[in-house]
Amino acid sequence: MPAVTYVEFDGTQHVVDVAEGENVMRGALNNDLPGIIGECGGGLACATCHCYVDDVWANQAGTPTSKEESEMLESTSAPIKATSRLSCQIFMTTALDGLVVHLPETQY
Amino acid sequence: MRIDPANPVAPTNVIRRYGMDQIPDHVPRDLIRQAGIIYSPEFLADPYKFFAGMHEKLPPVFYDVGPFGNAWVMTKHEDALYALRHSEYFSTEDATPFPRDPANYFYFIPIEIDPPEHRKYRNIVDPLVSPQGVLKLEERIRALANELIDDFIDKGECEFDEVFGRPLPVLVFLDLMGLPRNMCDTFVSWAMALLHSNDRQIMADTLKTIGDYLKTAIADKEANPDDGLVSRIAHAEFDGKRISEKEAFGFVTFLFIAGLDTVFATLNNMWLWLANNPDRRQEIIDNPENINAQVEELLRVFSVTFSGRTVAQDVEVRGVKMIKGDKVTSILPACNFDPDVFPNPTEVNFNRPKKIILAFTVGVHSCMGAHLARLEIKIALQEWLKRIPDFKVNPGAETIYRPGGVIGPESVPLVW
Repeated sequence: MPAVTYVEFDGTQHVVDVAEGENVMRGALNNDLPGIIGECGGGLACATCHCYVDDVWANQAGTPTSKEESEMLESTSAPIKATSRLSCQIFMTTALDGLVVHLPETQY
Repeated sequence: MRIDPANPVAPTNVIRRYGMDQIPDHVPRDLIRQAGIIYSPEFLADPYKFFAGMHEKLPPVFYDVGPFGNAWVMTKHEDALYALRHSEYFSTEDATPFPRDPANYFYFIPIEIDPPEHRKYRNIVDPLVSPQGVLKLEERIRALANELIDDFIDKGECEFDEVFGRPLPVLVFLDLMGLPRNMCDTFVSWAMALLHSNDRQIMADTLKTIGDYLKTAIADKEANPDDGLVSRIAHAEFDGKRISEKEAFGFVTFLFIAGLDTVFATLNNMWLWLANNPDRRQEIIDNPENINAQVEELLRVFSVTFSGRTVAQDVEVRGVKMIKGDKVTSILPACNFDPDVFPNPTEVNFNRPKKIILAFTVGVHSCMGAHLARLEIKIALQEWLKRIPDFKVNPGAETIYRPGGVIGPESVPLVW
């Protein structure tokens, strides 16, 4: 299973396996990780699974994949950066094995 | 306060206040209103006009006094987001209006369980109702929608609420739960008594009736497991330990109440609007690729319910002091008409930039069935408009709204 590293705002790292086809928001919730809420359940309706894709992975996963995701990113609580994503829209593939995402200070 | 979901205890500190004689001292006199939400003639004449008008006619936060209970009322999008996302101030304890027997108490699960414990319950349901999960139901919902239409299309008329608006979501829900379809009419009559009687004795009696049925249903699933939600809940395990009887009961009961009436009311609202707006109907037909935005915008302008909370510790909203124990209601349909977030709020605009809408609330307790509801509405629009693109309200028919916690017209008689 591909692995994802979630880096909390205070620097704490969590490495967990996330199944292919599963999304990065769900990977955090399934493993009880703090820092991602995902209150709408992955439907591009809430902006509470905001993450910053690590610069190393910017080319593979650092750009929103739909107009809805770009628009919804305007509703995040923490500031937007160049690689801001909604983690429910990052679906795991073997090519993303080792992905690193940084979590914002707050989702609300 | 931390509660033990397996051993429910009725809260003893709940204060419900009714009427002008029961206004606490900390409420400023100039913020007291009797707004008539859900029952005044002005409200019932056109609820959605009333919701939009609240931003002009009433303060953003006020203390509403009325026969169904006194509570702070909030209509700003920003305030509702704050309240629904900060359970440390706005708790879900005693936040539902359904009267339970204190001697045989149970919690509504997961809404009355604080994070992070609530997550273990959501994890049972989430895979089935996630955006990807509900797609597994798509074919079946589409087939059901067409079977329903087959039954009445040649008549050239129908009572929309009875032959489509009601059976579509309720039958989908019963399938999902693993409960028998032939109980549809019985379940609906229970839902009506619970949600629309506005009588606490009838509500309590009905909740007992529903509970007796669900206890039998859960026992049946324990003996005969299947793929439905009732069975999954009955067989759920946390850390290797089987879910307790009280937890399973509170979870199934809450799903039952939540699943029967809301999409029904939503479809009735939407079809009434579609019938009266032929140009906009055509716009939906002409832009099939924009269906998701169309569904979202219709959900924004036709949200059907409210979200209640109890103040857990003293807090201030827009300079208004709220004290522990106060009741607070976010008027979700009004929040969706907040002009600060949705310019020209009453205009139905399928090309609005995507924003957070409050149809399903927000926060960790936001609606589990939101994506199922979205899919049902999408399929209903697509299949109906494909087969009955042109229709109107039966001339001479009067649109009637009755008081209740879920907003929608009593009937939607259509002709084509």
